[in-house]
Amino acid sequence: MDRWVVITGIIGLYLALTLAIGLRAGRDTSPTVTGFVAGDRDFGLLVMYFVTGATVFSAFAFLGGPGWAYSRGAAAFYILSYGVLGIAPWYVIGPRVARLGRRMGFVTQAQFLVGRFPSRSLSALVAFLSLVAFIPYITLQMRGAGIVIEAVTEGNVPLWAGAAVAYGIVLLYVLVSGVAAVGWTNTFQGIFMVTIAWVLGLYLPSALHGGIGPMFREILAERPELLEVPGLTGGGDPWSWGGYSSAILVSAIGLTLWPHLFMKAFTARDEETLKRTVVLFPTFQLFLVPVFLIGFAGVLYVDALPQPDFILPHLILDVDLPVLVVGLFCAGALSASMSTGDALLHASASVLVEDGVRPFRPISEAAQRALMRVLIVLAGGVAYYFALDEDQSLVVLLLTSYGIIAQLAPPVVAALFWRRATTFGALAGLVAGSAATLFFFLNPGLRPWDLHEGILGLLVHLPFLVVGSLLTAPQPEPHVEAFVNPPPSTPEELRR
Amino acid sequence: MSIQGVRRGVFAFFLLYAVAVTWPGALPFRGAEPFILGLPFSMAWAVLWILLGGVALWVLHWAEGRDPSEPGGRERAGEDRN
Repeated sequence: MDRWVVITGIIGLYLALTLAIGLRAGRDTSPTVTGFVAGDRDFGLLVMYFVTGATVFSAFAFLGGPGWAYSRGAAAFYILSYGVLGIAPWYVIGPRVARLGRRMGFVTQAQFLVGRFPSRSLSALVAFLSLVAFIPYITLQMRGAGIVIEAVTEGNVPLWAGAAVAYGIVLLYVLVSGVAAVGWTNTFQGIFMVTIAWVLGLYLPSALHGGIGPMFREILAERPELLEVPGLTGGGDPWSWGGYSSAILVSAIGLTLWPHLFMKAFTARDEETLKRTVVLFPTFQLFLVPVFLIGFAGVLYVDALPQPDFILPHLILDVDLPVLVVGLFCAGALSASMSTGDALLHASASVLVEDGVRPFRPISEAAQRALMRVLIVLAGGVAYYFALDEDQSLVVLLLTSYGIIAQLAPPVVAALFWRRATTFGALAGLVAGSAATLFFFLNPGLRPWDLHEGILGLLVHLPFLVVGSLLTAPQPEPHVEAFVNPPPSTPEELRR
Repeated sequence: MSIQGVRRGVFAFFLLYAVAVTWPGALPFRGAEPFILGLPFSMAWAVLWILLGGVALWVLHWAEGRDPSEPGGRERAGEDRN
């Protein structure tokens, strides 16, 4: 039997198992919006741990991480550096947001923000910004899945078919089971991708170079510039410290503000679960170590690839691994892609309905769930359309979307900690910050010290938030108190 | 140490973390040598801060669990005693 047929069989088994878990997950969830979007606020520690980890680390980390290490060397260490920095504030913010969600019925980020800063424009703006950030992100996940399947089946399953089958399955389980499917499939996929990454990350340096130490010694002798921070740019020139440092900062600030992650605060069973998830997150972050080892293993072994993101599939095929290992690697890469893609598809539909439609026209619970399902299919269709287009600018768009998402940080922090913040200030800051981010994205030559456009956006955002708030009347004290100093959840709220 | 003291300490630690992995704090640690457990020093430096960050979060969580004024703290302290 041909190798590619066996590999396709293993991929098929993996997909069937994922589908079964996803469909089964929603059996005990209530047929309500809270059930579909927030899993009845009943995710325990195991599921929360893997939802957070597997959602953060996507196809971009699994394929892009080795690609960066391979082509840009130490520049990739920025990805190592921002995760724990980014998750730490969630230890304080997450439980507060969860408490308010439980009390006031929030299931999305915009609902939380509009709770403190009542404004339908703010709701629509957050929904719009989320969607602008989501589409290229989902597209990348789909392309990642298609690329891997096409590569390991030696082109017998083309990109369009691989992406269609993998994401057809994602659509099916998200449509049937909502966020419960995202939770349980992410647990399965998270275990899978971490195991595969560690196995390959330890195996490949050993197989190709005789060990991790000898591998880096060889790289140091032949390509020393790859091991010195801040590494190289995509073009092979030295990367600037401003670019490297601001990439860490903007990614750390934006990490938990991605709506598909932020919304998971509303799915946790209780605040203790959220805190434990944050405490355990660094163990998931270490998954990047083997991912980078895989990339470095290719530096002296593979000639320059036109698309560095292909380094992992390329190495896997080049080293002539047993067919079972190739199949499992493929399933690991699909896990990374699908575990982020499902959360993104689910969140984009939830955000559109809850924040883009419901504030503007009354809509029944059943109609909301039906509309979400239609929009999940629609968002999947739009992303699939872009996934088949080989437009490289999508990667750039994704990096820019981090800048947009980081603009959600000031209003979220102000909602919880700044009594004097007002709706006008929050709106003014968000509009000015997003506009500045877009401006510096379109005019990269004007960025001082090569700083990320998201950081520059924040520098414009903050004065608008502060001055805009101070120029307008303060919010009523009881309203502010409910957000800034929320009393602990009552036993009755926890049972809800 | 009071729980407020622990919180301030952990906050200061994460500020230090941010400085240590960006310019100018990372400048002295940017090179490849010496190798640590086979990893170049620049990579081991980033991994070290992940581990320290995990410890800092664990200390904060542990301290809150011992503090009866925290929501759930008394219960967690009770769990530890049992």
